[in-house]
Amino acid sequence: MANRNKSDELSFADKEPASQNNEKEKWAQELVIANRELDIANKELAFQNEVKEKRAAELVIANRELAFQNEEKEKRAAELVIANKELAFQNKEKEKRAAELVIANKELAFQNEEKEKRAAELVIANRELRHAEDDIRKLNEKLEQKVIQRTAQLESANKELGSFSYSVSHDLRSPIRAINGYAKILEEDYSDKLDSEGKKALGSIMHNSKKMGQLIDDLLAFSKLGRKQVTVSEINMTDLVRTVIDELLFEEYENIPEFKINLLSPAKGDQSLIKQVWINLISNAIKYSKYKPETYIEVGSEVKDKLVFYYVKDNGAGFDMEYYDKLFGVFQRLHSQEEFEGTGIGLAIVQKIVNRHNGTVWAESVLNEGSCFYFSLPA
Amino acid sequence: MNYDAVEILFAEDSIDDATLTIRALVKSGFTNKLYHVKDGAEALDFIYCRGMYASRNINEKPKLILLDLKMPKLTGMEVLEKIKSDPNFKSIPVVILTSSNEDPDVQKCYALGANSYIVKPVDSDNFFNAIKEIGMYWVIINQPQH
Repeated sequence: MANRNKSDELSFADKEPASQNNEKEKWAQELVIANRELDIANKELAFQNEVKEKRAAELVIANRELAFQNEEKEKRAAELVIANKELAFQNKEKEKRAAELVIANKELAFQNEEKEKRAAELVIANRELRHAEDDIRKLNEKLEQKVIQRTAQLESANKELGSFSYSVSHDLRSPIRAINGYAKILEEDYSDKLDSEGKKALGSIMHNSKKMGQLIDDLLAFSKLGRKQVTVSEINMTDLVRTVIDELLFEEYENIPEFKINLLSPAKGDQSLIKQVWINLISNAIKYSKYKPETYIEVGSEVKDKLVFYYVKDNGAGFDMEYYDKLFGVFQRLHSQEEFEGTGIGLAIVQKIVNRHNGTVWAESVLNEGSCFYFSLPA
Repeated sequence: MNYDAVEILFAEDSIDDATLTIRALVKSGFTNKLYHVKDGAEALDFIYCRGMYASRNINEKPKLILLDLKMPKLTGMEVLEKIKSDPNFKSIPVVILTSSNEDPDVQKCYALGANSYIVKPVDSDNFFNAIKEIGMYWVIINQPQH
């Protein structure tokens, strides 16, 4: 624009004076300057355009990038929509759960109310229970006292009974001795005056009164046991058993068995009472072996848990285990008098003595094959 | 009756026991040498030659005294005590022959100096043998102290 203006002005200036030539040269110089400035400006502009084109190219790339980013954003947006739908669904579920929870909470609240009712009832029940326990305790105390009373009564009654049976047995001995004695006199001095029936009758009297005497002596021994003091000492069992066997064999039994006496552990007990136990068990073993030709009797012991277990084993007549509970009964027998004599007090005495020592006694047997009697004592 | 020839003095209040004991002694051969009294007082009268036994020679001492414990007037225990505490007579063997097998009685008799304590057996054979053996031992076999 400036160009045109300046040219217009130049053509107009031809008509002007030389003074105007200076002006023209000024303008020409200004024009040159202006042209130079224009060049510079144009270069600047070209440079600016280059730059603009670079920027434009960068913009294109940026736009492409942006387009790509937008695509990604749209994908994310689509995913978000799905996710939101999912979330909405979850929320619905949560709301369902929440609704259920509300119901459950109501239920729980109801249960708690019930529990509190029960707890209150329990408190009352506990109080009543405590009262009842107190009552029971008081009753128990009363019972204990009653038990002590009864026990004392029982003990004294037992003692009386023991004394009674003792004195009765004791007093019965004299008349029976007289019956035995006079029956014997009849037999010795007057049997020629008796016929066979008379002799039989007399024999029966003697037999029965003899038996009665034995029963009474046995009963006396048994009841005396209940009153005897137990004096405990360490017992050399091997020596004691050997002594008992020697004394028993001295009485000449028919058909004496062979004895196997193992080394016996010592034990604590009343020497004379335990001797009675051995006498009864071993004499039984000898007696019930008498019909078998070759028999042996074995005596042994075993220590276990602070107890010593002794046994007497024979292979004699044995007994029927079916009647085991009669074995230790007073005057109970498992064989007839004709087979084996005896009153049935021996094992009752054994049991009584062993029980006084807080031990146990038991037996095993096979009929016709033999028996084994066991008893235990504190070591 | 010649009280001086008595070898066995027998004190027993029960007629039945006395009969059987005497019979056993007689059958064992102690016929004339046996004398029976019925209570403890009579037993001491005999030993000390008092009352109806005043004519007895006090130095003729029996070889054996058989003593029951339960007797009227004086018990066997009292008789035992008296005899065994008297230096003149304590050497006479005294055999207690009784129904009692109570431990205290046994202990006390031995403490008082009894030579033997026998419980009368109920069985007639055992009784007979016991009496016979007592007689045989103390009168025949045993050496008296004289």
